[in-house]
Amino acid sequence: MKGSALHTKVLPSLLGGTSRNPLPKDLVRPSDPTCDGTLELLSLAGQALRFERPPAPDSFLVEPEIRDERAIVEEALRRPLVRLLSAKIATEHPARALARSFDQLRLRPHSFDLPLIDDFVRSHAEKLGPTAQHWADKQKPEAETHSYLDPELLYESNWAQARLSRRATFLEQLRRDDPERARALLESTWPQEEAEARFRLLHVLQTRLGTTDQPFLTTLEKDRAPRVRGLAAKFLSRLGAGVENPALLACLERIKQGKSGMLRKRTTLELELPANVNEQSAPHWILQTFSEVSFSELAGAFRLTDEELIEASTKNESLLLALALIASSDRRLNLLELVVVHLPNAWQKMLESRLDTLGTMSESERQRWQAILVHPYGKELPPNYLFWDWLHRLTDAPAPASVMSMILKAKFLLKLPERERGSAPWLEVIAAICPAPQRQELREQFAEFDPSQTVIPLSLLDILDQMERNRTHA
Amino acid sequence: MSFTLERIEALAPDQSSLAAARKLLKPSSWPTLAEGEGLVWGECQGSGATPYRVVVSEADAGYKCTCPSRKFPCKHTLALMWMRADRSASFAPASVPEWVKDWLSRRRGPSAAAAGKRTNEDGTKPKTRPSIRATDVPEAEPEADPKAEQRAAAARERSRLEREAAVLAGLEALDTWLSDQVQQGIANFVAQAAQSCRTISQRLVDAKAPGLAGRLDALPTRLFTLPDPARPSAAIRELGQVHLIGQAYRRASELPELLAADARQAVGWSVTREDLLSDPAAARVDAKWRVFAVISEAQPDRLRRVETWLCRQGGSDGNSYYAVLIDFVPVSSGAATGGYLVGDEFEAELCFYRSTVPLRAQIATLRKGAEQSKEPVTLTNDTLSVSYTHYERALAQLPWLGTLPLNFRSATLRRNGLQLYLHDEESGSSLPLPSTQSTEALPLASVGRIDGIGLWNGYHFTLAWAETSLGRWVRP
Repeated sequence: MKGSALHTKVLPSLLGGTSRNPLPKDLVRPSDPTCDGTLELLSLAGQALRFERPPAPDSFLVEPEIRDERAIVEEALRRPLVRLLSAKIATEHPARALARSFDQLRLRPHSFDLPLIDDFVRSHAEKLGPTAQHWADKQKPEAETHSYLDPELLYESNWAQARLSRRATFLEQLRRDDPERARALLESTWPQEEAEARFRLLHVLQTRLGTTDQPFLTTLEKDRAPRVRGLAAKFLSRLGAGVENPALLACLERIKQGKSGMLRKRTTLELELPANVNEQSAPHWILQTFSEVSFSELAGAFRLTDEELIEASTKNESLLLALALIASSDRRLNLLELVVVHLPNAWQKMLESRLDTLGTMSESERQRWQAILVHPYGKELPPNYLFWDWLHRLTDAPAPASVMSMILKAKFLLKLPERERGSAPWLEVIAAICPAPQRQELREQFAEFDPSQTVIPLSLLDILDQMERNRTHA
Repeated sequence: MSFTLERIEALAPDQSSLAAARKLLKPSSWPTLAEGEGLVWGECQGSGATPYRVVVSEADAGYKCTCPSRKFPCKHTLALMWMRADRSASFAPASVPEWVKDWLSRRRGPSAAAAGKRTNEDGTKPKTRPSIRATDVPEAEPEADPKAEQRAAAARERSRLEREAAVLAGLEALDTWLSDQVQQGIANFVAQAAQSCRTISQRLVDAKAPGLAGRLDALPTRLFTLPDPARPSAAIRELGQVHLIGQAYRRASELPELLAADARQAVGWSVTREDLLSDPAAARVDAKWRVFAVISEAQPDRLRRVETWLCRQGGSDGNSYYAVLIDFVPVSSGAATGGYLVGDEFEAELCFYRSTVPLRAQIATLRKGAEQSKEPVTLTNDTLSVSYTHYERALAQLPWLGTLPLNFRSATLRRNGLQLYLHDEESGSSLPLPSTQSTEALPLASVGRIDGIGLWNGYHFTLAWAETSLGRWVRP
């Protein structure tokens, strides 16, 4: 039987059924006269097919060349990393701490481990370098993929090709150093930007906002996206140009101004909540209402300085919360510090407001922000996991040394309520926020727990230590 | 074999077993810890009055514990290995106690042969066969009875003849079934393969032909791993092979001896380890072996088949270059490895089951226990296309050949959609990887040329080991 006969005569008959399409008689040659030879032909056809070489596709995809100048994580760390990230971890905090460490130390996971830690890579791709970003994008349609540029390789010339979050960070940095140049860079690519990018990048202008930004902002009054127009109007309003910020007017409608004091009359301010806002929903209403207002705008509306505004609000917890949120949004941490003096439970109130971003705060600012909120609690740190979970997710930074000292000195983990003591979420979040110099002390406190409870957090501390040690020696 | 935490982790059935073992690392939980003759053993105080007895062979990670746990290895075994690995407890040198000797004499591992040779100090075989649980109950050695032995031999022969007859009857039923499938059309068979194969598979189990039964039982699953258009032609290949095995079995006397042995094994006649090791004609290769793949697959009969694929190190002298050790463990045990890890290297004499393409083997003598090696695996200089010709030659020798290892030099991994191919640039030939590797092997698509080994089953090339510019990649 020849190959052509196999495909044109035998296979059609075998596939369709010999009862309807009998095998060609000239090909059926039974070795045994007692059988009809059909099964022998089946075996022969099957064997002939086995000798056919598998067909190669006409073309293959061309893999992009990824320029990734980060160092690959040390060989000895690969297995512990994969083990930790593929284990059943109770919370996202260990992964968050590891991603942060990868980013700060300019390390990347080994390419061969990417499939094994796929969830981690997809969740934190931007912190793991271009190779990991490329991996995370592999399942996406071509149109949604981006160039894979590392932030340290980002210049004004290639800035437009990077991912949006990287671009925003780059622009923010430039804005702090040279606001004019940053705005000029933004203006140069503005016509090509999509609405989401325009809105996100325009936010950066709030850093060192000045009158020289006014002409550019004025052109945005006719932007196609309403939220871009709104943001531009807000900035113009802050500069004293354009119409008054509508969000400010809405806030002022709710603030009652009064005078108090016997000898020296002082301004007092009180925020009146709408009748349909109850105590539980009040913090979130405050966040929504005051999110588009700046500290200076609000103080200016009452003809007060920033400090006087805080002084005038001390008797009203709701307004203090509003000021704390505005100070956070404006990155004016000195003002936040003054507010928290009168609102020691600002941490709890902000958590209740469901604040979910600290905008463009740098890591040191986020750490300071964290310290400002935690310090008023002193030895009475909140034994509520939600506080710490929210704090770490929001700041995405290790705790400042002073906060960690409070945790360690108070033996906080050991004094948690019985049913929560030693539980995985608690140990994981505290291990994840622990700064490097205090890890040893934390390990000593972990020794008080059953060893099976501390496998993941201890492993996390060991890996972080080793990553930092290796990078220092490299 | 020295225990390491990585090895213990790989052996553990799950993370909770490791966590439970960690709690037993205190030496105070172990009234007895001892070592001797390549074994470590101990007694672990559990919740009951009697401590659990645990023994572990350092040569091949074999183990036994008297606890009732359904996990293998149990937490006691893992804890004993762990203490050995991190040297957190001292093991007193001691002579092997009777309960450990008993376990050694019963087990089917490389140390079993050594155990079988154990004698009393006066040179006689031990008279008692103590249990691991109770060593103090002596059993009288039964006196040899020639007549009873004769009767037993006759019964065995009668049983063999009955089975031969049952198998032949089963093959007749198989032919009828195959004819029905061909008459109705193989395309039609593919659509109802699961039900159809189950029926004939059960008939073949009754006919005492478990090899063929298992092959047909697994056929629907195998077909469904292939893309839709490839299934009908794959069904022709598979059913054709089944018929071929049946024919070869019937006409075994006309075939070369090795091919006849292959046919009997394919039908389901098993060769015991003892028979294999006592067969003077069985091929033996004494060499250094490297584990390049461990394939673990749950079978329909609730057993897990664990294949440990070995590659001979230091080159071949014309004898076997590859070997596979096959273990079966209950799926319920949770154990997924046979004790060896990919990258392990050991020195042993392997005894191969008789075959025209000898691959399956047993460890006859273990000369040096397994250790993880960082050395590159020894590969031939063949390119992928040259290796493929070896496969074709082997297929010509053994028409129902299953999986064969192929090594390759300077190949690349390429993508076409989500499908990965191992591609030989020079010849242009490509072998598709299974869809299960489309993610795990994807990083290799960006590393340029690679050398390595994999397993070709006629449909897919399961990449097992690759040496690359970024270091070694092994199948997870």
